[in-house]
Amino acid sequence: MTRVGIVGIGHTAFGRRSDATVQELAFEAFREAVLDAGIERDDIDASVIGAVPEYHKQRSLAGVVQEYLGLAPKPTWLTEVACASGSAAMRTAWLAIKAGVHDVVAVIGCQKMTELSTPEILALMGRVGEVQWESGFGTTFPAYYAMFAKRHMHEFGTTHEQLLEVAVKNHHYGALNPKALFRKEITMEKAAASEDVATPLQVYDCCANADGAACVILASEERAREISDKPVWLAGMGCATASMSVLRRPNLVGLPSAEQAAREAYAMAGIEPRDVKVADVHDCFTVAEIMAYEDLGFCAKGDGGPFVADRQTYIGGDVAVNVDGGLKAKGHPIGATGTSMTHEIVLQLRGEAGERQVPDADVGLTHNVGGIGQYCFVQVLTRE
Amino acid sequence: MFKWFGRVNYAPFTKVGDFAQHLKDGRLMASRCKQCGATSFPPRADCEACLSGEFEFTELSGRGRLHTYTKIVAAPTGFEDVAPYTVGVVDLEEGGRAVAWFGESIPEESIEIDMELQVVPRIFEELEEIRVFYSLERPGTTWAKT
Amino acid sequence: MDLGLTGKSALVTGGRTGIGAAIAVALAGEGCDVAIVDRVHDETADTVVGKIADLGRRGLVIQADVADHAAAHEAIATVVTDFGRLDIVVCNAGINWDGVIWKMTEEQWDSVITVNLKGYFNYNQAAANVFKDQRSGKIVNISSINGLRGKHAQTNYAASKGGEIALTKSLARELGKFNVNVNAVAPGMVLTEMAQDLAPEFIHKAADETVLGRIAESQDIADAVVFLCSDRARHITGEVIKVDGGQYM
Repeated sequence: MTRVGIVGIGHTAFGRRSDATVQELAFEAFREAVLDAGIERDDIDASVIGAVPEYHKQRSLAGVVQEYLGLAPKPTWLTEVACASGSAAMRTAWLAIKAGVHDVVAVIGCQKMTELSTPEILALMGRVGEVQWESGFGTTFPAYYAMFAKRHMHEFGTTHEQLLEVAVKNHHYGALNPKALFRKEITMEKAAASEDVATPLQVYDCCANADGAACVILASEERAREISDKPVWLAGMGCATASMSVLRRPNLVGLPSAEQAAREAYAMAGIEPRDVKVADVHDCFTVAEIMAYEDLGFCAKGDGGPFVADRQTYIGGDVAVNVDGGLKAKGHPIGATGTSMTHEIVLQLRGEAGERQVPDADVGLTHNVGGIGQYCFVQVLTRE
Repeated sequence: MFKWFGRVNYAPFTKVGDFAQHLKDGRLMASRCKQCGATSFPPRADCEACLSGEFEFTELSGRGRLHTYTKIVAAPTGFEDVAPYTVGVVDLEEGGRAVAWFGESIPEESIEIDMELQVVPRIFEELEEIRVFYSLERPGTTWAKT
Repeated sequence: MDLGLTGKSALVTGGRTGIGAAIAVALAGEGCDVAIVDRVHDETADTVVGKIADLGRRGLVIQADVADHAAAHEAIATVVTDFGRLDIVVCNAGINWDGVIWKMTEEQWDSVITVNLKGYFNYNQAAANVFKDQRSGKIVNISSINGLRGKHAQTNYAASKGGEIALTKSLARELGKFNVNVNAVAPGMVLTEMAQDLAPEFIHKAADETVLGRIAESQDIADAVVFLCSDRARHITGEVIKVDGGQYM
């Protein structure tokens, strides 16, 4: 069966884009990817859009995006799995190419988070969990991860300072990423002094909403080698789910969906966790990155705190994690994050990451989580 | 009626709607599948184990242990005037988990993971409409205070 | 008919004489322990307690002015302690002090409003505290058809009686979610001590106004109150039941 390669990538600046509609953002990323691939628009057989509709005024986003990109009459549809929508779009395109139905597919992750008013956003915030049994008590997205953090601290002695090390690291690298929302380093003191959001998480433990888009163009192996001299391969693709409700999870110190998706991706790619040189993981909250190290097998269960505190996830450590700034410094336009992560790993494996380059990056990984872990997509990408 | 349940309610129509009536009567109910006996909290009408749609309610003791918790400072719509508030996830003695607020019998300083708790059915006393919920209280706390 | 009142505990204000005494004894007859509250504790009060004891139940006299807010809360607490429970509170104590408005003194107005309306507030509030926490209870407030229709020379009395009805309905709204019923009974003219001070022609006039051809006796009122206190009236709340022989419709 054919391998699937990435032949073109594009990425907008992430941030408050009051200057553009979601389709205009999608176009920016798409244009960059098409130029990067050196293809004609007509070479694209289909597109898959990853976005979360409820944040937009425009209904049925896929249609308006593909129209603006000029892709009609090629097939298109939307995939939505909360913050992993971009990765779901990637997986859909991968499935179509592996099945031999399409040869070249454009995947556009795009999202505006700032079209809604504050009250509208606050109302959505309270509906992240399972609305029937949880939202009536005022749970919020940060509250769930806060509860994971408290339990993690209870079971493993993880400290809040270790959590904030993630924020410090990711802001350090965000400062090197011209596309990131936040491009200044932060100090531990500044982070620790920020306001409480849901204890123990403070403002600096939480990623920021942003608008943005990132595009990845996938091709079958045959077409990929024709189009590009540096295709990056999707060597392992894992996908798993867990209960939406935290009330039905086996434990609250890791994401079972991530563990399972990682196992699947590693097996398909034929690698071990220690083979991964560079990774983009889903740091919607600092504790999420720490749990990701453990779920992905980068370190043992419970050791995530010391792992980052010992700088093992900086460039030069065991595995460089989130050296594009992560969700924390880059911003989190939820539908675009999956393709944004892929964009960074492709840059790394091509050797085009400039100041952020991880030396000899031959195997990379993306870990994209939807919501509070009900969906997880893990991709292993390789240079060869 | 299930629309009574919670400070805000986004799920007014459900097959397990009578849960809220029982709560108003002071009873915390799990569901039990009539076909295979599997129980669930939160209650569910459709059995995960055997796919049957026939269920009945079965009363729980309300006893449990605190699994984890957080104090929510940044509140969503409908909760702005009561923030900050502390919610906890409780592992129930008979199985299953609940998320709920801490009640008045638990001082904030005393909250500790693994502490024993009692999940107590509650009514929002000062609202004109009927709204019900449950709160996490010291063991031995009852629904009827006298 | 088993009204389900056996073993329940009740408090009746103004239970020494007239309608209140009849209510107290009628509740005892259905199996309630009954405490009566009155300004005066004399032989008459003890006689009522004696009748309650004859019916095999416990009786108690609590001496208090119903306008005394603190005393009302103490009285409720006493009943809960002595009888071990409280299920029913009937507010019945009231006075009148008639006069056309242009001759009515402030004292005339204030005293009637205070004893009647504030008195009911005092006992309704104390009862609500207990009933709300125990998630059950019955409150019956004795009002008057004059609170519905007005009465010459009774701006004060009618205001207090109308106020008691509004209080009843509002309280019913507040306590419904706790399984507590709050209702009012509105008698027409009743043959009691209060009525005995009236000239006979007033009584005849009232009887003529009824369609049943007589004015009420205390027992007529008591029977309606007992029904409202029973499980039979479990779905009745915020209601005003006139017991007036059709005197006012």
